Amino acid sequence: MERSEEYIKNERKKEWRVELQKKTKAKDRMTIERVQMPESAPEERIKSQRIEVNKGLTAEEAMREATRCMDCVNPTCMEGCPVSINIPKFIKNIERGDFLQAASVLKETSALPAVCGRVCPQEIQCEQRCFYVEKLHQPAVAIGHLERFAADFERESGKISVPELAESNGIKVAVIGSGPSSLSFAGDMVKLGYDVSVFEALHEIGGVLKYGIPEFRLPNAVVDVEINNLRRMGVKFITNFIVGQTESLDDLKEEGFKAFYVGSGAGLPRFMNIPGENSNGILSSNEYLTRVNLMGADAEDSDTPVLRGKNVVVVGGGNTAMDSVRTAKRLGAEKAMIVYRRSEEEMPARIEEVHHAKQEGIEFSTLTNPIEYIADENGRVKQVTVQKMKLGEPDASGRRRPIPIEGSEYTIDASVVVVAVGVSPNPLIPNSVKGLDVSRWGTIEVVKDKMQSSIPEVFAGGDIVRGGATVILAMGDGRKAAANMDIYLKEKYLSQKVEH
Amino acid sequence: MKEFNSLDDILDFAINEEQMAADFYTDLAAKMKNQEMKDTFEQYALEEIGHRTKLEAIKNGKAYKIADSKIVDLKIADYLVEVDTEKTNISYQEALILAMKKEKSAFKLYNDLASATTDAASKKVFLMLAQEEAKHKLRFEIEYDNNILTEN
Repeated sequence: MERSEEYIKNERKKEWRVELQKKTKAKDRMTIERVQMPESAPEERIKSQRIEVNKGLTAEEAMREATRCMDCVNPTCMEGCPVSINIPKFIKNIERGDFLQAASVLKETSALPAVCGRVCPQEIQCEQRCFYVEKLHQPAVAIGHLERFAADFERESGKISVPELAESNGIKVAVIGSGPSSLSFAGDMVKLGYDVSVFEALHEIGGVLKYGIPEFRLPNAVVDVEINNLRRMGVKFITNFIVGQTESLDDLKEEGFKAFYVGSGAGLPRFMNIPGENSNGILSSNEYLTRVNLMGADAEDSDTPVLRGKNVVVVGGGNTAMDSVRTAKRLGAEKAMIVYRRSEEEMPARIEEVHHAKQEGIEFSTLTNPIEYIADENGRVKQVTVQKMKLGEPDASGRRRPIPIEGSEYTIDASVVVVAVGVSPNPLIPNSVKGLDVSRWGTIEVVKDKMQSSIPEVFAGGDIVRGGATVILAMGDGRKAAANMDIYLKEKYLSQKVEH
Repeated sequence: MKEFNSLDDILDFAINEEQMAADFYTDLAAKMKNQEMKDTFEQYALEEIGHRTKLEAIKNGKAYKIADSKIVDLKIADYLVEVDTEKTNISYQEALILAMKKEKSAFKLYNDLASATTDAASKKVFLMLAQEEAKHKLRFEIEYDNNILTEN
C-alpha cells in the first residue's frame, strides 16, 4: 500500500475532499465539541458479561464528529498509527456520508478495523498526534470511535466485500495460532493465492481477541464476522490442534507445508513468586478470563465454572487487570479491588478502562503491593498481606520506581485472587523447534521488518516476538511477514525473481 | 565471624567470593536445557569475573572511593521466594530473582563486616564492597522492574 507524502497530498486534492474543505470553515469545525461515546448504564451493564459498555455512535454523531477533522495538509495523526491508516481520508468519507467507502479505506491497511476501533489505545497513538491536541490543546478528533463506526456500519449493512484473490499457486502455508497477527497474515496470504491453514490450540478461533478480551469490550460476534470473511476467502481453520504437541513442525513439513507463520502469542501467565501464591483460589488472569470469555463460566449452569468470591483482589494495573476485576464484579463479587504497586498515573491500562472500572464500583488500592498470601486450613486463600509503596526519586531513565515502606504492612480479605502482572511468550514453539533463535525472554528472534526467524521458512510476529504489544502492532507484523514470506516462497518455489 | 588481618586479606576474600559466584553461574549455565538460559547464566558469570577484575585492580593500588549518595534499594528480592537451583528449566524471571538475592546477601555480608570492624581503613574497604554489591543488585532490580513487573 502506497503511503508516500505525495500520495497523501494527491488524495487530499481530490475534488470531493476540496469541496468538503470549502464547505465548512475551520473556525466552525473548531466550535464543535468532541462527541461522547454513548455507554450502557454501569448498574445495568454489570449484570452481564455480554453487555457491551460502549454502544457506538449514530450516523449523525459520526458525521458531526468527522466534521471536526481539519483534513490537515500534514496529517500527523497518521504518524501515530502503527499501520499508517489514511485517517483523514476515512474520516472525510464519513463526513460526506459514504460510510462503506470509509470502511474500505480502513481495510486498505487494517485487517480488523472493528476490533481496533474498540481496543486500540488511540489516546496514545493517532489521537495523541491530532492537530487539536498538538496545536490547540483541545480534545482530539475521536478517531477510534469513528473507526469503529465505519467498520460496524459495513458489518451491519451486510455488504462486506470479499477482496479479489490471486489465482491459487498451490503452495501450502501453515499459521500457528489464530490471534490478530495470524488472522491478518492469513488474510494477506490467501489474497496472494496461497493455500493457508490456521492451526489453533483452543476450540475457538481468535486467540487473545476471544480468550483475553471480555465481551463487554469486544463482542465475539465482531471477531467472528472477520473470521468468516477469511473462511469465505479460502482460509482453513483447524481447532484443537497444538503445533508442537498434536504434531510437530516437521510433521507439518512432511504434509507439504512449505512455510510457517508463528503467531502463538503470549499466553504464559506470569506470577509474582511470593509466599503462598500456590494457595487455592489464586488464579492467573489468563485462566480466569479464558474460563469466562471462552468457556462461558459466567453462566450459572456452566459445566466449567470458575471460582466466584465475595472479595476478589486483582493484582496489576494493565488492561488485563481491568478486564479481570470488571469480570469479577459481573460474576457477583461484592467487593472487587485492584491492587497495584505504582500510582494511578503509571497504570498501563487505558484511561477509558480505568474510568469504566470506577463507574462500575471497582476499588483501587494503588502504591500497594502483595507480599504474601495467607490460606485457611484447607489451603484456600483468605487474606493478602500487602505493603504500601512510595515512589522514589527519578532514576537515570527518568522513571520513579516504587519502593516499599517498611512497617506499612496490612491484610486484605480475599476469597479469590487474580494475578494480572504480565504475561510471557507461549514456550511451546520456542522450546520444540530446533535451530530457532530465541531471546532470554522466550521471544522468537526475527529479522526486523522481515519477520523471518533463524529458520528461513519460519516467520513470526505479534506477542511471540514482541512479548506483549497491542492488537494493531501484532496485525502490522502479520502483514509484514506475509509480504516477505511471499517474496521468499516465490523465489524458492515459483522461480520468480521478486524485486526487494 | 571471619577474621581479616590486612586490607589485602579482605580484598582476597572478596575476589574469591566473586570467583565463586562466577563458578556458580557457569555451573548453572551448563545445566540449563535451553540455549538462551545457558547464554544468560554465562553472561552473569562474565559479569562476576568483571567484578573480580575490578577488585584485583584495587588490590594492585587503583584508587577507589565511596559515593556519598546511598545506592537505591528497590527491595524487590526481599519478598520473593527462593528459586530452586536444582531444576534445569529456570526461567529468565527466576534467573533475575536468583541474581538479585545473591547480590543482596553479598551486600549484607559486607555491610555486617563493616559494622563489626573498628579499623577505619578496613571499614572503608567493606563499605566500598557493600556499595558495589548494592549497585549490582540495583542493575538486576531495574531489569526486573522494567521487564517482569510490566503491569504491576
